[in-house]
Amino acid sequence: MSPLPLGVLCAALLVGSVSLSNPFAVAACAAVSAALLVASPPPRGAYIWFAAGSAVLVFLVNPFVGVQGLTPIWSGPQIPLLDTEITQEELVFGFVAGLRLIGSACAVAAFVRLSDGDRVLAAVARVAPRSAMIAALGSRLLPTLEGDAAGLMMAARTRAARLNRRRPAAALAGPLVALSLERSLSLAEAMEARGYGAGPRTRTPVQPIPARQRALLAVAVLLALAVAVAIPLDGYRYYDLLDDPLTAVGLATTAAVLACGAAALVLVRGGRR
Amino acid sequence: MSSALRFEDVSYRYPDAARPSLDGITLEVAEGELVLLLGESGCGKTSLLRAALALVPHFHGGELSGRVVTADLDTREHRPTEIAARAGLVFQDPESQLVMRRAGHEVEFGLENLGCPPIEIETRAAAALAAVGASHLADRENGQLSGGEQQRVAIASVLAMGQRLLLLDEPTSQLDPVAAEELLALVTRINRDRGVTVVVAEHRTSRIFAEADRVVVMEAGRIGFDGTPAEAARHLAGGAAWLLPPVTQAFAAAHREQLPLTVRDARRLGPPQPEPLPQPVGGRAVAMLTGVGHRYGELEALRGATTGFTGAAVTALLGENGAGKSTLARIAAGLVEPSTGRVERDGLCGYVSQNPAHHALRERVDDEVAYALENLGVDPAQRRVRVRDELERFGLDSLAGRHPRDLSSGERQRLAIASVTVMRPSLLLLDEPTRGMDGLRKLALAELVRGLAVDGCAVAVITHDLDFAAEAAALVTTMARGRVLADRAGPALLADGGFFSCQLGMALGCVTLADAVALLRRDREVARV
Repeated sequence: MSPLPLGVLCAALLVGSVSLSNPFAVAACAAVSAALLVASPPPRGAYIWFAAGSAVLVFLVNPFVGVQGLTPIWSGPQIPLLDTEITQEELVFGFVAGLRLIGSACAVAAFVRLSDGDRVLAAVARVAPRSAMIAALGSRLLPTLEGDAAGLMMAARTRAARLNRRRPAAALAGPLVALSLERSLSLAEAMEARGYGAGPRTRTPVQPIPARQRALLAVAVLLALAVAVAIPLDGYRYYDLLDDPLTAVGLATTAAVLACGAAALVLVRGGRR
Repeated sequence: MSSALRFEDVSYRYPDAARPSLDGITLEVAEGELVLLLGESGCGKTSLLRAALALVPHFHGGELSGRVVTADLDTREHRPTEIAARAGLVFQDPESQLVMRRAGHEVEFGLENLGCPPIEIETRAAAALAAVGASHLADRENGQLSGGEQQRVAIASVLAMGQRLLLLDEPTSQLDPVAAEELLALVTRINRDRGVTVVVAEHRTSRIFAEADRVVVMEAGRIGFDGTPAEAARHLAGGAAWLLPPVTQAFAAAHREQLPLTVRDARRLGPPQPEPLPQPVGGRAVAMLTGVGHRYGELEALRGATTGFTGAAVTALLGENGAGKSTLARIAAGLVEPSTGRVERDGLCGYVSQNPAHHALRERVDDEVAYALENLGVDPAQRRVRVRDELERFGLDSLAGRHPRDLSSGERQRLAIASVTVMRPSLLLLDEPTRGMDGLRKLALAELVRGLAVDGCAVAVITHDLDFAAEAAALVTTMARGRVLADRAGPALLADGGFFSCQLGMALGCVTLADAVALLRRDREVARV
């Protein structure tokens, strides 16, 4: 997909996840981001596990490092550096912080999986051609490197190596570096053989955005506007006591995020088909 | 006729190399010719193709003497980037030459480098993809394409640039038989219909030998022979016959006067009645896979595959690109867990992957072989003895102190196998062991795997090289779309004229070179009587 509408959409969700304060609005941003990631092509398991794992970790750790909140629900033994008095406010804040992590991680992952990498790099190339090519090669070599790492591990495992031990696994780093150097040399040779560096390259013209993606851009802009308007108005506080989340601004922001998100999802799914 | 490529007494030595890779090469390729470049691995074929595109010395360094003129450009004065507008090189490993993420953009990459107008880029890229039958791949990611599809994209990327000279370095080494046949037919079509000059280095000669206008044989960096295919067949019959197509080899070894270059000619010249082929060998399976399934994300690689690997026998595992052969082998070796089904193993299993470089984990050849024994906890004295024996068995004893990455491709392959067989596995699985290997080394490898089977090991060889499979294997298992079609069938499958038929099988009805030679000799005796 074209990077422009997706970029605006994912950036709005990222900013919304991080900057909005109403828990319902943050949850809406996280839900839309996660749904977008699920609608993207595989592999996406690693992103989902990373987002969910980090969110759970933040939720579990926050009550023990936060010292705020006036509604205690459990008090434990005194442990240095840890706050063992758990408050309702700390739990809610930790939960929302986890949602923020899910929203931001999924928004970035959805952009990576849904956007056309070559077109993103072509866009960067208009500003910094050399950097774009280096980034292109990096992104091209990463999956190859991943394949080589898997091949080395398989070759070690078939020879009875137990790679869950730290030292044997580290021993594969040297061969992997050697292999990646060989790969990069071959790639550089192939690029030279196809005229890279011969002279000024063609500047790829900006491709027209198809109708469906123009609609996605409009939805993304609406979402970005809604988030931009809501951030200064949404003054929800978690400490010392939780505010009532059912405010007009909070509900309107949530509704706007969900409506724009649902429309974007329909357009993204249709575009992929 | 003007020349597309000219070498004038060219010698070239890579930096730090002991001997020159090209030694006094004088060669002229005329416009529109199709030239087949033959020679054993390491004889200088790749260096010659690199020199044609000025990659040596401009990219690789080293010392070059003499003169190479490619499409009227002297490579001493012009860099590869300038020559790229007139000549294109397709490398052996497609994975290492694809630059962009998507196939469509890959084809456009070279045109962008040449500074073509955007509208022209789109038209030429689409036409090039259509010419290689890969239009449907334009939006696919390069990393998700099969080896054959990647090779097509690589050729389209070169074709799009509209060069008049196409250089191909073993383009079929990773393709299944049908894909290889299609690719070579495409190369021939490009040459015949478009008048593009083609120089192709290839080890699997059965399809292209008769199609070439000229055959150039290289020996240790020199041109050993240059002539028509029929002349080359007569020249090579007395010496390096293994460079010839299998049918020609068989007739040469039987001392027949007429040497066929194709299956059609061999049928005309050969005996009318082939010998009955041996029945499949029986025996206990050392590994049994029942209803095995496996998925990679959305891709279903295996769908309820059931097969086994018989002890003391070599089984060839055949199938098109993406049929699920490697996944099946990895599951059999215990390296991948199946999603469904049951696997029973009896003893140790070893797997040698397609890329022998993945087996280079240590700094010395002997340490590499000792690695598995260290992991198994074998005591040092016994380890030394077993390492020495294994190095001797694979002819690597004189290389014990060398770094594995400094070995030739054939030596690396043997080291990769030795590093696994030292464990004395009851099942050894070799994944595409003949990739980039010349005919002589393939025959040696076939003998080696048969020897391992004689020692009691069950050996399974995944290969696209049907002539190698015919030489090495007593059993044949075939796969398609994640399913096993024929489970441990006899060699007759390689001679029935179907998808998996080797050249000797189609021509003479027998599968090994020895059987073909015996058949031809008997036929001659009968004719004499």
